[in-house]
Amino acid sequence: MNILKIKNVSKKFGALEVLKNINLEITRGEVVAIIGPSGSGKSTLLRCLIRLVNIDKGSIEIDGKSMVDQDDTGVSIYSSEKDIRVLRKKMGMVFQNFNLFPHKSVLENIIEAPLTVNRTIREEAESTADKLLAKVGLSDKRNSFPCELSGGQKQRVAIARALAMNPAIMLFDEPTSALDPELTGEVLRVMKALAEEHMTMLVVTHEMAFAREVADRVIFMDLGEIIEQGKPEDVFGNPTHPRTQAFLGQILR
Amino acid sequence: MDYDYIINTAIAITKGFKVTYSLLFTTLLLSLPLGLLIALARISKTRLLQYVSGTYIWLLRGTPLLLQVFFIYFGLPAFGITFDSMTAAIVAFSLNYAAYFAEIFRSGIQSIDRGQYESADVLGLTYPQTMKRIIVPQMAKRVLPPVSNEVITLVKDTALVFGIGLLDTLRTAQIIVTRDFNITAFIIAGIFYLINTLILTIVFNRLEQKYSYYYD
Ligand SMILES: Nc1ncnc2c1ncn2[C@@H]1O[C@H](COP(=O)(O)OP(=O)(O)OP(=O)(O)O)[C@@H](O)[C@H]1O
Ligand SMILES: [Mg+2]
Repeated sequence: MNILKIKNVSKKFGALEVLKNINLEITRGEVVAIIGPSGSGKSTLLRCLIRLVNIDKGSIEIDGKSMVDQDDTGVSIYSSEKDIRVLRKKMGMVFQNFNLFPHKSVLENIIEAPLTVNRTIREEAESTADKLLAKVGLSDKRNSFPCELSGGQKQRVAIARALAMNPAIMLFDEPTSALDPELTGEVLRVMKALAEEHMTMLVVTHEMAFAREVADRVIFMDLGEIIEQGKPEDVFGNPTHPRTQAFLGQILR
Repeated sequence: MDYDYIINTAIAITKGFKVTYSLLFTTLLLSLPLGLLIALARISKTRLLQYVSGTYIWLLRGTPLLLQVFFIYFGLPAFGITFDSMTAAIVAFSLNYAAYFAEIFRSGIQSIDRGQYESADVLGLTYPQTMKRIIVPQMAKRVLPPVSNEVITLVKDTALVFGIGLLDTLRTAQIIVTRDFNITAFIIAGIFYLINTLILTIVFNRLEQKYSYYYD
């Protein structure tokens, strides 16, 4: 079954059409890499899915339930705040700039949402956090503060923090773009391990090697549209659209 | 030097401490939380709240504190509201300082990166939870220096209450100076203010150190 159904989604910022009639279905456990030039709307697409921004037209269905539907003219109608809350909880998001809470320790960052949002008891939240820290290889940083971590470590904490809410879908917006090249590997490894556990993942990335190796599907976006998509070997090996060819030609040069 | 005179004068001046300290601490106790509420109103999405808090800040920062003290003590009785002089001073000072703190808090809150709101939001925290647990604690660290400034100004501003006949430290000293034709009392009062601002400076430095366990 499709865990995500995106139909006719359009989004404007003022006069700027950032997403133009996006249609996309994602099956459970699928890993999708989204690539494309700067300003093509990749981040906006992820942000619309988790409702950091509202869409203007089209509909989004998550796990079989409608977050936002469209009327006869295509204009979006959002479900009730209560229903949206439930649906948003199915998604976790990791940002380019980590956005860890600087005043909280690594552990506190991870248990913050379980405690305040889910009202999990502390011991339980901490034991989950410890498992996640082990998973991202940062058990020894449990009581450190974000300012004491490297970029790669911060991003791994951010991933653990998102996983602590037990999401069904993980959204990654250029998770390694703010990192020094030698630090991207540790983050990509964690993401790869997650993919191997069949987490549904949408990853906006410039890491073509990662997309090629880990993604089940690669989507190329340009100017707010999905131009081309397919298996990584097809999109990378044999791009059909000239804009994909131009983009890949530039980036893989 | 007449040490007996100095000591007796100092003892006499301590009678003014009560007014100075009660005004100082009550004002802080009331104006800091009130300032935070006004700051939150100022940045809220509700137009009415923005407008009301904006006007409040403009009025209270735009007129002299002494005028506000006069208004509350001498003016409000005309509307049937009377306060004793100490209460009037506390009300005026708290309302006034809340306006200054509100602006400090507002700029502190607005200096926090948008990403903090976004990550709290995608984790499912509500807006009040985000403010309480993520934004305001970080804001508190950032606003310590300007708040410290305001508090030191407040120590000295307390002397304005002579205007409604309260016997604070400075007024008490002034009475002694006039009586004795001797400025020793002024010097002692000056030292009193200096010691207090020094203590507050140390307290705020400690607070800044306490917050230095992280940087961002
Ligand atoms: N909140 C906003 N208000 C106005 N314009 C916006 C906003 N967010 C994004 N945009 C614009 O929308 C367009 C698409 O932005 P988006 O961030 O989705 O691109 P992107 O594909 O993620 O690019 P990049 O690779 O640089 O991250 C850009 O032109 C951007 O300036
Ligand atoms: Mg982007």
